[in-house]
Amino acid sequence: MAIPPAESETALIERARNGDRSAYGELVRQQHSGVINVVYRMCGDTQLAEDAAQEAFIQAWLNLPSFRPGSSLRNWLYRIAVNAALDSLRRAPKTPFVAFETLSAPDGQAGPEAALLQKERSRSVQKAISTLPEASRAVLVLREYGGLSYQEISTALDIPLGTVMSRLNYARERLKQILAPEFIDMEIEHV
Amino acid sequence: MSEHIRSWLNAYLDGELQGARLDQVRNHLQNCSECQRQLDQLRGLSGLLRGTAPLDEFLPAERFVANLTLRLPRQPAAPQTRKAGGLGWGWFVPLGLLAAWFFAQLTGRLTSLITSLASLGLLGDGLAWLPTGSARQIAWFGWLLNSLGAWTEWLAPLNQADLFLRGLTGQFFWQAVLGLIYLAWLARWWLGSQNRQAAPVVNG
Repeated sequence: MAIPPAESETALIERARNGDRSAYGELVRQQHSGVINVVYRMCGDTQLAEDAAQEAFIQAWLNLPSFRPGSSLRNWLYRIAVNAALDSLRRAPKTPFVAFETLSAPDGQAGPEAALLQKERSRSVQKAISTLPEASRAVLVLREYGGLSYQEISTALDIPLGTVMSRLNYARERLKQILAPEFIDMEIEHV
Repeated sequence: MSEHIRSWLNAYLDGELQGARLDQVRNHLQNCSECQRQLDQLRGLSGLLRGTAPLDEFLPAERFVANLTLRLPRQPAAPQTRKAGGLGWGWFVPLGLLAAWFFAQLTGRLTSLITSLASLGLLGDGLAWLPTGSARQIAWFGWLLNSLGAWTEWLAPLNQADLFLRGLTGQFFWQAVLGLIYLAWLARWWLGSQNRQAAPVVNG
């Protein structure tokens, strides 16, 4: 069945709740990039993130009848996604992280190797995020990559607002210590 | 002072502050280079986190959806099939109890009010057939008249007060019965909803 392009999220949810797969597929298409980004930042591994995102969307499909109409689908999905990511991490074989000393920032004279520098920076950032405790990581990821407000994070993770703030403070302080200061200073120059 | 402000820098950066706290942090930042430097670092960190792309490409959304569709179970777990009318007959139980309680309350209060007004003579002789008080009540008020003299004319309405309270025991009894019926229905409804939730719970 063809999906009208302007069909609202509410209408799609209602159809999906009644078992309409094409409506659910459209919802997944709309939420895919946000969910995969959150899951990837939680897992730190592309393949693991793909699997966790699939699992998250299956869980969401199964639990759709219990979804409260009128509440935010995105926030609800992010909550499921974070849990799916953590489950995937627990099931996945443990691989030792590369020490950060070996991931220090290349010097600023990389020049033509800008792509390499970018990749190195991405790897460093993801490794740094992966070292955070799960609780703090979830708050940081939902804020920085999910774009949720403190209140939305509080609701999604079912933790008090003060805990959101303290975990976020901890996570950022820890990342500032871990990541090479050059990275942050370079970013400041561009802000 | 600086330490205190520092704990609010993240919330300030994320646009989560408002009112007096927002003014306090803004004013402090204008005069404290150290906190300003901390804020710049946080801003730089945030930009760094958001600006770095994933190391590898993800599956395009279309392929992701196609793969997902193949893995989806045939039906959402425990679809909520409702009969015509939407809410189901179960909702009539609390509504019916509430209506019964409201009716009993209203009837009782109106009866008491009319009885009181009639006994004060405000309704004329048309309601003379209504009871106006017990013998004990009349005796008590007679003793009060003798004891306090002229002051008691101001206390006359008090004599009617117990007309409102006479049915109190009965009211408590019926309210308790209605309450118990309601709680029994609530327990049954909760057990039913637990059984319907066959899908795995999404934990937090």
